[in-house]
Amino acid sequence: MTEIKLKLKKEPEYPLEAEAISPDQFAGKSAIEIKKLIVYHGNEEKTLGDFFDVSGNGSEISDIKIIIDGNLSNVKRIGEKMTGGEIIINSDVGMHIGNNMSGGKILVNGNADDWAGAMLKGGELEIIGDAGHYVGAAYRGFWKGMQNGLIKVKGKIGDEALSWANGSKPAKRFPTLICGGAGSFLGVHSHGGTIIVEGDCNRCIGADQVRGTIVVKGKITRILPSFKKLGEVKEIELMNGDIIKGKFIEYSGDHSVEKNHSKIDKKTGKISNSSNGRLFVAA
Amino acid sequence: MVDKNIRTVTDVICPFCGTLCDDLEVDIDIREEKVVEVRNGCQIGTKKYFSSNPGEHRYNKPLIKENGSYKEVKWDEAIDKAADILVKAKRPLLYGFSSTECDAQGKGVELAELLGGILDNTASVCHGPSLLAIQDVGAPTSTLGEYKNRADLVIFWGSNPVHAHPRHLGRYSDLIRGYFRKDGASDRFLVVVDPRNTHTAQLADMHIQVNPNEDYELLNAIRATLRGVELDEEEISGVPKKKIIELVNTLKSCKFGVIFFGMGLTQTLSHHRNIDAAICLVRELNDHTKFLLTPMRGHYNVAGANQVFAWQTGYSYSIDFSKGYPRYNPGEFSSVDVLMRKEIDASLIVASDPASNFPAAAVRNMFKYPLISIEPHHTPTSVNADIILPPAIAGIECEGTAYRMDSVPLRLRKVKDPPGDCLTDKEIIERLIEAVKKKKGE
Repeated sequence: MTEIKLKLKKEPEYPLEAEAISPDQFAGKSAIEIKKLIVYHGNEEKTLGDFFDVSGNGSEISDIKIIIDGNLSNVKRIGEKMTGGEIIINSDVGMHIGNNMSGGKILVNGNADDWAGAMLKGGELEIIGDAGHYVGAAYRGFWKGMQNGLIKVKGKIGDEALSWANGSKPAKRFPTLICGGAGSFLGVHSHGGTIIVEGDCNRCIGADQVRGTIVVKGKITRILPSFKKLGEVKEIELMNGDIIKGKFIEYSGDHSVEKNHSKIDKKTGKISNSSNGRLFVAA
Repeated sequence: MVDKNIRTVTDVICPFCGTLCDDLEVDIDIREEKVVEVRNGCQIGTKKYFSSNPGEHRYNKPLIKENGSYKEVKWDEAIDKAADILVKAKRPLLYGFSSTECDAQGKGVELAELLGGILDNTASVCHGPSLLAIQDVGAPTSTLGEYKNRADLVIFWGSNPVHAHPRHLGRYSDLIRGYFRKDGASDRFLVVVDPRNTHTAQLADMHIQVNPNEDYELLNAIRATLRGVELDEEEISGVPKKKIIELVNTLKSCKFGVIFFGMGLTQTLSHHRNIDAAICLVRELNDHTKFLLTPMRGHYNVAGANQVFAWQTGYSYSIDFSKGYPRYNPGEFSSVDVLMRKEIDASLIVASDPASNFPAAAVRNMFKYPLISIEPHHTPTSVNADIILPPAIAGIECEGTAYRMDSVPLRLRKVKDPPGDCLTDKEIIERLIEAVKKKKGE
């Protein structure tokens, strides 16, 4: 792996739009060329070199490892649309980290702001601290959010994570989120997302979920009235075949959605729970 | 007896709320160009006409703040100073636009693009969540005339038209006789969902007193019940299960239903997800009967601001031009959020009063940087501005187009001349554009 080191030398006054920081952009460029990449500061065009010290030269995308130091809490869009390589951020980071990425790995040794890993199509995003709202969510008006990949957040996340997640068993796409705790509307409008929460959640979990699995190992403030309690289970099989062991109470839903695959059989009145639209809460 | 000193203007469109009543009659005393009488209007609309009369509360001339006090200046000097502030700014905010006509809004878009600034209208603290939900799940809606002629079930959810849109019930939704609703109010069933026993709720045939901030759970329970799911809980959001079943039967058995929703749904907990659920409910109700919904827009032309912004930039509010092309993301580029994060360095407020409506911390941040206000009256925003540019009031002192809450465009009328040196909003923004272009060397 070839390492490219970036160090913030001047903190931006306004949010710095730095989609230029990604292995795809750095590939095949020397440090001098990387410094000339364009970033946006307020309504002005600047270069990466105006804000960062750069050392190291870029090679092939998959061979690049970018290490960034300095307070990046006001730097947005790092790793946008990246397809491979690795980024390590040794501080907090601004909005849209790793949005639309389809491969590679990002590690944030701090907290992330809103829209972390939004509309992920592959790859892995790991956040050691907390993350803001809309983790792995669909951007406004999109009907397909996160389609594949893995987001790991050690701390808590905000509201509406993994909205409109779109997974598929036959196509082997398993958008997955693992987090320490979550806010409201986790997995809203999910179409096959897998969410594992190690701690507690707020309200409206799995609202409008059509397919998908949500496992909460802590407590939920309030379960939506449209979820039906099915009973206690001892192990859970996730969409990708992984097994989680432990005592859980299984709910099916959201039954307010017309398209819900775990629909109620008209003849028998029973819920035909066909591995879709599930919520598990620790017993 | 006809009073020769009185000029009467008829069929005037009222520029106050989103109902845009179009039957006002205004008497003007021609000796002083003063409104002396308004007929047919509601109390708030009538007051707006009287507030346009010259007086202490109105600005006549452009003002510039110098050493803490205001100095009257010529238009050229005020425009030059304002353009200076805007050109120097790296992240200017242009906010407001909802209480002016569409041409001025269009010019606002042009100025924002020229400056590379953030453009936002009052929908961002009002019905913005409705727009987000519509972008997610669509919206089955119609014009108000349809409701007047056809609706036999009218639901007001989180809105209180008796006070906020006083003539709405009388003109479109309840008391009015329609083509298929010959007996007016007695032909309609009125449902009000509100945590408070409002004056609208007191008129209702059914009042559902939902717990504050728990509308989403109630909508969710209604949707589940509608799909034949037996609810596990006996009481949801303070409403007994029996009442929910009764409501669902009412919804299914009507011939033509409509939900009007207001701030009680958009600006309480869950925001756009409330509207999302309401739209999904309406969509599913159309399996049983005809059902539609319409937002109760507040400012008379906030719907127009959304229309104009959307047709010129592709997005209806929270637009960022900093990269030269429009980008949209409420929460990132919406005014309250950028002010809370201290992202801006100058602001131009047009026909709006954010200082009265925004969170105190956001207002404090707005006052830290140069503030230009295009505003006819003394407001908490304008009295703190560095430059005040006095406009003629659109719909009273100049013509223009405005969009009603159901997005029907109506032509506003001019009933009198503006006082002093006032220019129209459009002229002021045009002059700003010219000055900015000159300073940028374009």
